Amino acid sequence: MNVSVKRILILTAELIMLVLMFLIIIGPMMSLFIWSIAHRWYWPNTLPQEVGFEYWKQALGMHTSLAIGAISIVPAFLLSLLIAVVVVIISMLIAIPAGYALAKYRIPFGAFIMFLFLMPNAFPQQPIFVNLLGTFTRLGLSGTVQGVILIHILVGLVFGVWITSATFKSIPSYLEEAAHSVGAGSLYTFFHITLPLAAPGLLASSVFVFITSLDEFTGTFFIGLPFVNTLPMTLYSSSGYNMQFASVIAIILLIPSILFMTLIQRVLRAEYVGGMG
Amino acid sequence: MDQVAVQAKQVVRREVFLPPYLLLLLPAVTFMLLMYGYPFLSSITRSFINSQGQFSFENYQKTVDLYLKDIGFTFAVTVFSTAVSAVLAILLAVYLRLRQSALSRALTGLYKIPIFIPFVVVAQMMTTFLAPHGLLNLTLAKLGIIDIKHPLQLFNFYGLTFGFVWKMIPFSILIIHGGFQMIDNSYIEAARSCGAGLMRVITRVLIPMNRSSILVALVLVYSQIVGTFTLPYMLIGGKIPTTITVDIAHRINYFRDFGVANTLGVFSYLLVLATAVYYLKSSVRKVTGSQASER
Repeated sequence: MNVSVKRILILTAELIMLVLMFLIIIGPMMSLFIWSIAHRWYWPNTLPQEVGFEYWKQALGMHTSLAIGAISIVPAFLLSLLIAVVVVIISMLIAIPAGYALAKYRIPFGAFIMFLFLMPNAFPQQPIFVNLLGTFTRLGLSGTVQGVILIHILVGLVFGVWITSATFKSIPSYLEEAAHSVGAGSLYTFFHITLPLAAPGLLASSVFVFITSLDEFTGTFFIGLPFVNTLPMTLYSSSGYNMQFASVIAIILLIPSILFMTLIQRVLRAEYVGGMG
Repeated sequence: MDQVAVQAKQVVRREVFLPPYLLLLLPAVTFMLLMYGYPFLSSITRSFINSQGQFSFENYQKTVDLYLKDIGFTFAVTVFSTAVSAVLAILLAVYLRLRQSALSRALTGLYKIPIFIPFVVVAQMMTTFLAPHGLLNLTLAKLGIIDIKHPLQLFNFYGLTFGFVWKMIPFSILIIHGGFQMIDNSYIEAARSCGAGLMRVITRVLIPMNRSSILVALVLVYSQIVGTFTLPYMLIGGKIPTTITVDIAHRINYFRDFGVANTLGVFSYLLVLATAVYYLKSSVRKVTGSQASER
């Protein structure tokens, strides 16, 4: 009798803890969702008096409105997408050879090269952007899409190199040696043996770079504003005066991140996630 | 003659022979040196150059005069948020490790969500959620916990901590729980059979055996919070006190003052110096260690 009472008490405590945790995790997300559909929400009502998808339609360019702060986010979305695609292509072209070299060769000054690729995770990156702003201004790159692309490559390249290098390291070298011993050249071996085996890891790495570019804020803030308006920049500039629009954009930014990241969960490593956002 | 030509060719080939990794690494290393190495060094050197272009400590004098409070604030928020995240993450990871029920499995799916949410979205969430007229205050008022006429003011130290903790706990659990999973059940059972209670199992078995992943979580959370710009900028902005990252943005956007901005940057490097050294050392050791064991 006594034992079962104790059990019930423990279970109740567990349940309360879980519900509380659920509310804390879900609360801010609910808040975002409610704001995105709130037509009228006067204080001190707990919930909006009038809800609908008017702001969603305006943001997605399905309705035009003359209200203050009403903008279509379609151009910003397309720009973000374009930048992300270019960034993924260039980053991976640079990262795949580097990742392969780090995985397969014993390199003199290897520790120095590793340091170079680890530093951005260890130190705050904002001073880097500040100093690049000076350089980019002299080169005429600040406020341009090219400048923003360079910044996004910088942020994404580190993840690109580490994930591709880990992928190549996981491919046993006896497979390559076997190809060599039956007469395949180095390039043939790379393109017909190593690359196909590494494809899933390289894909995961590309997705990571893509999401990093899509969500990048700080670098774009210094280098891109006010001329390059990516999706995060549009979110920032509308959060000051129009909560509904900002919330709609925030949810739109949320969807690809959660979608892609659940897809690549298998290769997820804490160190990589550490630099997110 | 043919033989001579072949020999000559071999000599030439040996002379121009470069290890292939040089070519493979060249683009990435060049890019990182130009886009990371150079600005990193110039962020330090430019902090010692005053507005007349001379070497001086003027920027440091100015930074200490104007921003000492903000540097302290940044340090306080970071330490507090890291500590809260660590304690809660350890407790939840222990719970997930010891309790294998349907409920805890459901929780495992749920807790990971914030990891994937970018900071700019977290910032927007927190500005709506924590506002005086936001969902948190309205809900607490509905439950009768606070008076709606005096809502909690959270666009400050506490709101910032809440935002950081919300984003960082899941990430910490991911690392710490991973470490707990490696501990074999037999250790826990052995401790239990010797009469150890739950607390003793946690403090004497689980936490000591998992010290390294707890340390890694602490280091990554701490260094990430120091460098985060988005959340403090959107949540508290230019209010006093604010964080170093917000001050840097103000220095650049309003004054184009690269000297003081870089000095603030150097202070943020100093705040993460210990964790950065630990992170770099352990990462390089891990990589070279695994290479050595392969050979």
